[in-house]
Amino acid sequence: MDRERLDRPVKLAVVEDLPVVLAGVRSWVAADPQKRVEIIASGDTLEAVLDGPGADADVILLDLELNGVLMIGRIPELCAQGRRVVVYSVHEDEETVLNVLKAGAATFITKGESAEHCLETIVAVAWDRPYVTPTMAGALVVADASTARPMLSAREREALLLWFQGMNKQSVATRMGISEATVKQYIERARIKYASTGRAAPTKTTLLARAIQDGLITPADIIEYQSRAAEGGQS
Amino acid sequence: MTVTDPELLVAQRYSLASTRAAVTIVAAWHLGSDLPSTIIGWSTYRWPLLALAAWILYSVIGVAASVVLLNPGRKLPFGPWPAAVLALVADAAVIIACRPEAVMTAANWGWGSVGWLALILFWPRRTWPRDLGVFFLANALVMLAGMAVADSLHQVWIGKFLVVLFGSMVLQAGASAGAHGFDLAARWAADNSRTLARAEAAQRAAEQVHADRLRRYAQARQAAAPVLTRLAEGANPSDPDVRHACAVAAARLRRLIAETDDAPNPLLHTLRACVFDIEKRGVVVHLLTAGTVPPIPLEVRQALIEAPLEALARARTQARVTLVATANQVIISVLSDAEEFVLPAPDGVQVATQVEGGLLWIESGWTAP
Repeated sequence: MDRERLDRPVKLAVVEDLPVVLAGVRSWVAADPQKRVEIIASGDTLEAVLDGPGADADVILLDLELNGVLMIGRIPELCAQGRRVVVYSVHEDEETVLNVLKAGAATFITKGESAEHCLETIVAVAWDRPYVTPTMAGALVVADASTARPMLSAREREALLLWFQGMNKQSVATRMGISEATVKQYIERARIKYASTGRAAPTKTTLLARAIQDGLITPADIIEYQSRAAEGGQS
Repeated sequence: MTVTDPELLVAQRYSLASTRAAVTIVAAWHLGSDLPSTIIGWSTYRWPLLALAAWILYSVIGVAASVVLLNPGRKLPFGPWPAAVLALVADAAVIIACRPEAVMTAANWGWGSVGWLALILFWPRRTWPRDLGVFFLANALVMLAGMAVADSLHQVWIGKFLVVLFGSMVLQAGASAGAHGFDLAARWAADNSRTLARAEAAQRAAEQVHADRLRRYAQARQAAAPVLTRLAEGANPSDPDVRHACAVAAARLRRLIAETDDAPNPLLHTLRACVFDIEKRGVVVHLLTAGTVPPIPLEVRQALIEAPLEALARARTQARVTLVATANQVIISVLSDAEEFVLPAPDGVQVATQVEGGLLWIESGWTAP
């Protein structure tokens, strides 16, 4: 995404089959004092949204379960088209979370944490920056511990764990004796490490490129993670 | 058949020892007595080759019966009786091979010896005493017929016939009865030993159940007694401190009830039960889990859950409870609006705490040794 995006709100398309949830998303968007997000399309199927006004959306907010069908299988094609997908769901088990991330979604939000994290996530994703919700943090900690060659450092793991436990970033920083910025960096770097594994997608490439630009990781790190992923180390 | 019971194994070894002894006696008798009698009496036979053939036939039956007896999985092709009849044929063949005047000499070894073959042929049968009796009778009749043909039914020869007949029968039936008795005694001993072991195991289990009950009673008492005593002494139930103490005691009692339920994931089951009770008090609890809890002992579970449980019980309006589990680590945390309290420090787990922004964070962790 180029710099011009700084000057206009993020264009969001919402794919949701429950009107009450859609109304909730609209109210969060409207409540943002900086008006950073604008809903340009909504509907209860991907086709209804993307074939209409949602075609140029910067971010798609996708309910994982539409009319009783899980949408995990549709995520790779969306990512292959270069679309940034934020998945939200009532399912919060780590297996679902990891499958959604592996399929290429940028972020996973549970409906329980939407109010607090929804807008922040959408804005971060629109800028190709990593955003880790507490639910994702728990899934990453467990996934990393169960691999043959864990990718997270002890500090990254601790930051993710405290974030999952519900502390805000300031409290995590106090607990770990570091600055809030460092906490943010640890958590985001953990996400980047996992973004560079699994299936390639243009959205992942831009996420990694932005992470390098921001100094979060170096190109050498990416090669390292990918070689580990190629060995089948990640679950 | 695989035998795992040690007593049964011992009994089977005893059985094997007695069957080996029987086979050895038969072989020793046939080689040590029948063979020399055949060789020494060679010149007294009418048809010595027939006597030799009878000796060989006896040997073949003996080997076949021994192989079957020592390998419980095997069976004689037509059962023991056709072999027993063949043994009687060998017996008759030796009588026929003898000259009439030699029928009552040692050269006619068959009729005194075939009883040993019958011993091992009928060994595994429950009806061995009857089978052996019928066989002895048939053997006596064959010999009497042989004596009649040889014109040897004189008083003296009848007397000798009876002596040899009874002598051999007593030896052969006695050996069989003795060995079977030995076998039976070993099985009785095994049965007794097994019964005793079962009784001991049942007693140990009963003692364990009793000890567990005592322990749980002590824990229930420890959980509830102090607050009940305070209330009995006139403490004011609307005092927030008393109410917190009651909530903590109730949560502990709930944990005691839940922790022995047969659930696939006992730790999560206990945690859920406690959360459920606390939600009923109007506290909004958000329970999140990640990972699969490895099997951990009851004491560790108790220690691990103690501090989070108290934090939950003291929560006023909201709590976030998380359980993170990996193969060798389990961490439970509670972030709630409870007031700070004196942390329990149970053995074997690490408890950490932090207060910030009006929220109390408690983490209780266990790492596999």
